[in-house]
Amino acid sequence: MGAVSAARWRPRLTVIAVLAMWCSSRAGAQSESATTTGIVIVTGQQATTPVPTLMEGAANSVGNQDVADQLFLRLAEMGPKLLTAGDRDFVPALARSWTRRDSTTLVFEIDPRARWHDGVPVTARDVIFTFKRAKNPDLAPRVSELLRQITSVTAEGESRVVFRFARAYAEQFYDATYHVAPIPAHLLDSIPSDSVSRSSFAASPVGSGPYRWVRSVPGQFVELAAVPDFFLGRPKIERVILRTAVEPSARLNLLLSGQADAMDIIPPPSVGRVASDTTLRLIAVPSSTMGYLLFNQRDPKNRARPHSILADSRVRRAITLGLERNQLVQAVFGSHGMVPYGPVSQLLWIRHRSPRAGGPNVSEARRLLAATGWGDSDADGTLDREGRPLRLVLSLPNTSGIRRQMALLIQEQLRRIGVQIEIQQLEFPIYLERRSAGDFDVDFSSVNQDPSPSGLTQSWGCTGGNNVAGYCDRGVDSVMEQAIGGRGDPGEKWIEALTKIEQDAAATFLYAPAFMYAVNRRFRGVTITPQSAWLSLRKWSVSPVPIVGRSH
Amino acid sequence: MGGWLLRRALQAVATLVVAIVLLFVLMRAAPGDPLFRLSADRPISQKEIEVLRARYGLDQPVGRQLLAFVGGLARGDLGVSIEYGRPVTSLLVERLPATMLLGGSVLLLNFTVGLWLGVRQAVRRGAREDRWLTTLSLTGYAMPSFWLGLVLAWLVGVEWRLLPAAGMQDPLLSSDAGVLARAGDVLRHLVLPVLTLSVVSIAATMRYQRAAMLEVLHLPYIVTARAKGLSERVVTWRHAWRNALFPVITLFGLWLPILVTGSVFVEAVFAWPGLGSLAAGAVGARDYPLLMGASLLVAALVVAGGFLTDVTYALLDPRVRIG
Repeated sequence: MGAVSAARWRPRLTVIAVLAMWCSSRAGAQSESATTTGIVIVTGQQATTPVPTLMEGAANSVGNQDVADQLFLRLAEMGPKLLTAGDRDFVPALARSWTRRDSTTLVFEIDPRARWHDGVPVTARDVIFTFKRAKNPDLAPRVSELLRQITSVTAEGESRVVFRFARAYAEQFYDATYHVAPIPAHLLDSIPSDSVSRSSFAASPVGSGPYRWVRSVPGQFVELAAVPDFFLGRPKIERVILRTAVEPSARLNLLLSGQADAMDIIPPPSVGRVASDTTLRLIAVPSSTMGYLLFNQRDPKNRARPHSILADSRVRRAITLGLERNQLVQAVFGSHGMVPYGPVSQLLWIRHRSPRAGGPNVSEARRLLAATGWGDSDADGTLDREGRPLRLVLSLPNTSGIRRQMALLIQEQLRRIGVQIEIQQLEFPIYLERRSAGDFDVDFSSVNQDPSPSGLTQSWGCTGGNNVAGYCDRGVDSVMEQAIGGRGDPGEKWIEALTKIEQDAAATFLYAPAFMYAVNRRFRGVTITPQSAWLSLRKWSVSPVPIVGRSH
Repeated sequence: MGGWLLRRALQAVATLVVAIVLLFVLMRAAPGDPLFRLSADRPISQKEIEVLRARYGLDQPVGRQLLAFVGGLARGDLGVSIEYGRPVTSLLVERLPATMLLGGSVLLLNFTVGLWLGVRQAVRRGAREDRWLTTLSLTGYAMPSFWLGLVLAWLVGVEWRLLPAAGMQDPLLSSDAGVLARAGDVLRHLVLPVLTLSVVSIAATMRYQRAAMLEVLHLPYIVTARAKGLSERVVTWRHAWRNALFPVITLFGLWLPILVTGSVFVEAVFAWPGLGSLAAGAVGARDYPLLMGASLLVAALVVAGGFLTDVTYALLDPRVRIG
């Protein structure tokens, strides 16, 4: 009987053994492939059209920008200080040098060694062609708005490009170099301008950067290869795979299983798990993200009227003073976040010159509320005035774990000063629709900022396109205009504007985090630039010996 | 049979047309604007919104948008995705093979292993094997797919490193790798997502098949077959099983659209590049053209599932077409 049973089970055990051998042999093959001079970076978005002037609308994504930064070289790159005023912090890239002719004219000399990936030299004609496309609002509505101060781009010979500006201002150089990298005129000028996005060029772009396009497997990855004769030095990493996994847990599994070498923006709750893997190095990178409680100063139901509670700056100020902001940041971001002074993320250079954000002051918060007529007449713990409780709705999207977690803590902290917060989690598109319409009391906003502080006018200027709360201080507008115009020290002017915004308590500025990135320790010379994570990849090198062993 | 088939096909087409119109109108009526999403994390000018609204035809009245959509559909053009900036048909065609592979594998396992185990259980009713399989199937049925997927990816992919934790292929696989190596690579990536989806579906099929078989096994014609001296294998598979298939055919019809809609979470957990995750992303972004394309596909699968079920019923049981 025993022999019969063994005979019945033998084939099944054989199948199981073969399967186990297959699995383990493939796992070995996988780690072998990881020892080549390639890197697999796992990201949340796949590049769809990584071509300057085509990255408009939803295509203006981190996924596209990451790839475009490897394929296309800008005239100059930002330096480590991320200083957008003047040209002191910029380093040569496609342009080997530049000069200023007068207060409204900049001249760039294209590096004669620069080549497109098909071998054709990069010339002034390419730059002119690019800016002509980029300044067309029908083709590139976003970029054309950013380049509105550039009145003309002309050539003087093959390699000299002259930029003329409408007026003198501090960020002329930044505008000429940061927003758009040149694209090849010789490949694109025969294609109708509105058909480029559907052309073979968009599907397989030809650039001038350190890496060239190899292939895209939809929903899976994009592959790039090093350009052997790249004029600023051959990249040491030969293959770059940007692998896509939308779900953070899938990205994390790819990293921790060794299927990926690097990952951007590790969710704060998972940082400890990644840190316990000894093959990985964690790097804190200042982020462009800034989160804040935006107080609506207009009545959500009738924008012509002031908000019945929040129009009074003393109430707004009291809410800010009632919050232990450092505690909130510590709870969510650990030691990698900070409380900003004004609407400033860690990406903006002006933060280095700004004062520290103020701490909580519960007694002052109570005094301010009492001064505005709010008291606890029925001793229920919530302040009231003329029979109405001091109750505010805090709106946030249900997709943001960070904001959800922080909102609960805020609710609890404000209860101490008698302010009742009702948390309203909304589906993301609905949240955005209501926010844009000004239909909220307090909006838990999160914004990603460009390196330039001039973007602040959009949200904090009286006529700013993104000023959904109705905040308006002509004094702030005037100081911001002076800072942008470069009259005096722009840094000083920006700090003056921030101070006024803080004094007005237009919002409670809560967090400006650094995000954690992970990179396998076999890569050397690793630097991650805040404005574009993988921009300096061409300078990394890779150890031929794989790092083995993990400790969990 | 021909007339019945034609009537049933026309009904299916009419259902699809109604579904298209309803889907189109309801999508536009739902709150949330696809272009507001662009202002999610950076300021966006009114001018930019206007240009993009015109580019995607969103500045037109809903009736005109519907006509444009139907006109495009007649030409096989589902429009351009707002999120991806590419034709919807290309996006769907790109993602369809991954979904078909995942869903097809699950269906195959489901309707082979699930049916076989269900029949075995019924034949051995009350025996230890039946009790064990009942416990296992109920456990499998009660297990949430998303939890199982997370556990399998972590345990098998990350901790044990036996199989890939995510993805559909190894991007570092040498470009000169042969067809077999590539197929093996995809197969290894397929194991965990299929296992995750199959546990629940096989459990359901087993329960259905067991119940259906038990009803049939006590009927007089089975007793007659046994009395004629037919082998137990012939009685079970040729006589009992054929009549016990009807409820399972209904189940198959229901499973067909779930191929796309049911794998959304599993596709996300395993970074599987299928239609489910594409459609889920389109919902969040209110990407109307892509959402419409994906919904149309699901609606077509629902209608096709129902149609195939009816036709199969009719083939197996003449009373259906007469009735």
